[in-house]
Amino acid sequence: MKFWYTARKKYSIHFVLVFLFIFCTFANPNFLSVNNMTNISTQLAVTTILAFGATMLIISGMLDLSAGSVLALSGVFAVSVYKSTGSMILAILAGILTGVVCNVINAVMISTFKTPPFIATLAMMAVARGVALYFTQGQNILQLGDFVKIGQGTLGIIPIPVIFLIAFGILTWYLLNHTRFGRSLYAVGGNEEAAVASGINVHKIKYTAFIINGIFVGIAGVLFMARVNAGLPNGAINYEFTALTASIVGGTSFSGGIGTAGGTLVGAFIVGFLDNIMNLNGVNSYLQQIIRGGIIALAVIYDIRTKGRRTKQILGNSEKKNEQKQTN
Amino acid sequence: MDASIKLRVSNIEKSFPGVKALNKIDFSVKKGTVHVLCGENGAGKSTLMKIINGVYQPDSGQILIDEKPVKINNPMQARKLGISMIFQELNFVKELSVEENLFLGRLPVKKIGGSVDWKKVRRETEALLAAEQLPYSPTTQLKDLSVSDIQMLEIIKAVSNKSDIIIMDEPTSAITLKEVERLFAKIKELKARGVSIIYISHKMDEIFRIADDITIFRDGTVVDSRPKDQLDMETLINLMVGRKLTNTYPKETVAIGDDLLVVDAYNQPGVFHDVSFHVKQGEIVGFAGLMGAGRTEVMRALVGLDPLLSGRMSIKGKETSINNVRDSIEQGMVMLSEDRRRYGIIPVRSVMENTTLSSLHKVFNRFRRHKKEERRLVSDAFQHMKVKSPSLDTVIASLSGGNQQKVLLAKSMLRDPDVLILDEPTRGIDVGAKFEIYKLVTDMAKEGKGIIMVSSELPELIGMCDRIYVMAKGTIMGELTKERFSQELIMKYATGTIANDRGNTD
Amino acid sequence: MKKLVYGALSLLLLSGMMTGCGSNNKASSDANAANGDSGAKKYKVAYVARAQSDSFAAWLANAVKEEAKKYPNMKLDVFDGQANDDKENSVIENAITNKYDLVIVQPNNGEAQRPYVEKLIKAGIFAITTNARISGIEGASSVDAQPYEQAAVNARAALEQIPQNAKVVVLDGPSGNFHAEERRKSWQTEFFDKRPDVKIVGEQIANWNKDEAMKYMEDWVQSNDNIDAVISMNDNMAAGALEVVKGNPKYQNMLAYGVDGTAEAVLLIKDGKMTSTTLQNAFELAEKLLDASNKLLTGESKQIDTDIGNPLINKDNVDEYIELLKKAGAIQ
Repeated sequence: MKFWYTARKKYSIHFVLVFLFIFCTFANPNFLSVNNMTNISTQLAVTTILAFGATMLIISGMLDLSAGSVLALSGVFAVSVYKSTGSMILAILAGILTGVVCNVINAVMISTFKTPPFIATLAMMAVARGVALYFTQGQNILQLGDFVKIGQGTLGIIPIPVIFLIAFGILTWYLLNHTRFGRSLYAVGGNEEAAVASGINVHKIKYTAFIINGIFVGIAGVLFMARVNAGLPNGAINYEFTALTASIVGGTSFSGGIGTAGGTLVGAFIVGFLDNIMNLNGVNSYLQQIIRGGIIALAVIYDIRTKGRRTKQILGNSEKKNEQKQTN
Repeated sequence: MDASIKLRVSNIEKSFPGVKALNKIDFSVKKGTVHVLCGENGAGKSTLMKIINGVYQPDSGQILIDEKPVKINNPMQARKLGISMIFQELNFVKELSVEENLFLGRLPVKKIGGSVDWKKVRRETEALLAAEQLPYSPTTQLKDLSVSDIQMLEIIKAVSNKSDIIIMDEPTSAITLKEVERLFAKIKELKARGVSIIYISHKMDEIFRIADDITIFRDGTVVDSRPKDQLDMETLINLMVGRKLTNTYPKETVAIGDDLLVVDAYNQPGVFHDVSFHVKQGEIVGFAGLMGAGRTEVMRALVGLDPLLSGRMSIKGKETSINNVRDSIEQGMVMLSEDRRRYGIIPVRSVMENTTLSSLHKVFNRFRRHKKEERRLVSDAFQHMKVKSPSLDTVIASLSGGNQQKVLLAKSMLRDPDVLILDEPTRGIDVGAKFEIYKLVTDMAKEGKGIIMVSSELPELIGMCDRIYVMAKGTIMGELTKERFSQELIMKYATGTIANDRGNTD
Repeated sequence: MKKLVYGALSLLLLSGMMTGCGSNNKASSDANAANGDSGAKKYKVAYVARAQSDSFAAWLANAVKEEAKKYPNMKLDVFDGQANDDKENSVIENAITNKYDLVIVQPNNGEAQRPYVEKLIKAGIFAITTNARISGIEGASSVDAQPYEQAAVNARAALEQIPQNAKVVVLDGPSGNFHAEERRKSWQTEFFDKRPDVKIVGEQIANWNKDEAMKYMEDWVQSNDNIDAVISMNDNMAAGALEVVKGNPKYQNMLAYGVDGTAEAVLLIKDGKMTSTTLQNAFELAEKLLDASNKLLTGESKQIDTDIGNPLINKDNVDEYIELLKKAGAIQ
């Protein structure tokens, strides 16, 4: 009984995923096929990698609205570097570099000049998209040759983007749980002033978080362009919101200090399963939007109600709890 | 005497969880007089004023205006009954204009259409400003005014409200001498009009200048209430602090060693100036003073939380400079802030994470976290500190204040600092936990650490410290060695009645 | 110190970006100065693009810019409506304020721009609407491709090509977009109404985007044993669908229709993967736009309404268009 109670609190969002999975399995016979599962994972790879970056930023009390645009810019640069040099390594480096440069600018705006993250990254969203369009003159870059392998190829039966997804998930988990950076990230987001007073270099943490986000976005850009087999300056519009959605559904708190790599993965898959089952069952486009929005709201309400009840207890009845403890 | 009783409170009682804030309070204010309330921080003055202003509801007792019982449920109702309060920390919206501020919450509305009658607002504001000979226009934004101007505005607001009881909570804590004169002139004028004023202050000179009657609070009770003429400063201070030390403190004699920390001529213009002091090994050094004396500010500058303009310091005989908290921690100096919620805890994270936050190098090596090592470190510290937490993964916000404070102490101890600065270490903590914290502080002194204890509770300082510095008006007014410890003497320094026996200030 | 370094670094980067972006403006202002010096009578022509970020709109804007160089009596400025009615309308209003002699409007949404084009006429400025035309404005000219016709040529061909009882999927453009809806309407009347045997097994709005189309197609491939044809309202989405079934023998004979004649589509037709598309020829549009402008400005005509052709590109004539796109630099 007690086990279930605590499990339900801690893993509430995981239960949502399991429930959704079972529901989907019954709702469409094709859902549970190997092909469909690989499809979903591949489809999710790019946005989930963005979501891992977003999670780290939200944990530290920031956010990145420029992710989609910077992704497109990184991808377009990577594609053109590949086309002129033929080197995949250089192309990936170009993508990463672009992502990092844009995010360092974000960090300068936010950490050094104290611009609100919302505004700073909104500006970057426009600038990066503008540069991507300017650079390509609004035209798609075609004939990518072997560049597409990184987005469409497989290693054994596992699509390469899924390998990236797993790798970045593990990396995020590792950073959050096994490094001083990760621990500091939680502290900065949980209470920045207390973090400063504890001797944490908050500037360094924020810059690092953005640089890591930049690497994630850069790689996501390469994967995205390879998957669509084109350099799309207009690609990945609104991906930042898909990423934010995955992160928030996965239990990351917008007030900072809370969030996990696993939760984000779960959040991404909740959104992914949902989209997938609606397409498999041919739900009308407009209806899909309504249902997607509604289910996201429900998932978060459920999460807040199960977890939030505990928070309320924490803040409201601490005295009472304490007494109980002492009498025990 | 024609002075009739304007306001009377009788038998007011009020408890907060764990604390009896007010115990059977009786006192009365006559019409057209200034009634001063004094007492130490936390004696219950502000709580009583908040009850009169309708912010809090008393648990029992009565409030009578013009000898008629009234019920005051909120500040709006208080205003309707003619009570206005001017707060210690002026809270206003700085983007608002003078006229908006004056009429906030009672904007006149046109009869037709129901929109705000701005013309009327402008007209009345101009009339009020002219009457008070204030030079600014109704559209000036509050952020462009000085604190004193805003205070004056608050008073005008109270007057224009036709208030006949005005409560002023330490109104001179943020204004200059010249502005104080202006305020006092205004108070005199109000008195002449028959307004009753309740005036809360710590400053002896002020109290004796403007009071008609004085009521003294201590530990939530009224100790005495007399006309000014029947009191002198000496008696007043005695009455304010005059309890015997009922608590015992687990103070032990410790061998005092060499200077650990020497601070010389610290300055931060407008905040504190010419602050010099030293702390020796095994010594517990107290910093006494009233609110706003600059104690916390000095400590914050010391550990690099606030920038410093000039001054020198040395730790363990080595001259050094500290630019940020990291420097401070690395040099072996750690501070526990007075504001636990703001500068202490990361509320949403676990007690374990909170404990190791300043010592991450002990928990993480180059590649990974030593999970077991971290748990061991923290549970050892908790055992030593007697922290009561259901588990190491419990979110810190769910602990009681005392346990949170002990977690933060554990966090400081994990760094094994040479100098530990405790700013109000027992604020908001119940008696049992207080004692344990005193015990821990004593243990640390025994280990040869230098401890700075900033506190507003004089008995605590007297009971725990080896030496006490008293601060007032941003500088050190006096240094007391153990044999000279007395609450009366400390209060004299702190209120500025005597000063400068160290001769290092002007 | 560190802060300063970070700050300087970022400023450097930003200024690099700024100058990169700014070079265009500089060029045009230089041109301005040169024109002023020559002293000859030059007509000021404004081209208001729907959105520079839309790949066809960008192509058309570039084509118009190129074409304008052939007319020494005109000075052309290009403006961006940023895919936003409000922005585009205010750009048109600015053109009135700046006393342009002629304004070419590529509407974001015809009805939203109609009153502003009427304002142009009222202000005595020549107006041409294009891609899509806003019809029925007294005194305004128009040059257009007909979106209905563009889709219809494909639909009519599909009548013959799509097998009996076929299962098809449909990829739509953004809802509310004029071209998207005209093209879809055309497929309905020209094809689906005449072929009740054909079953639509999936239809989604993929917003002209290749990546969105890919996602839908992947899911459709899962939920259907077979798909006989992809009917897409533009080439981008058709290319996305084909990307999904690339190399899958089961879909080797799947038909795929688009519209626009993009480089990618033409290459796919050449490879035998895509069935057909209609060329919406930006060069031809630009040519006719400038020709019409010239005629209006020199007083040769008062109002011109003309259309470009809607050539169907399929494997029989694809080489011809590859040549055309190579000339345009769209294919290397």
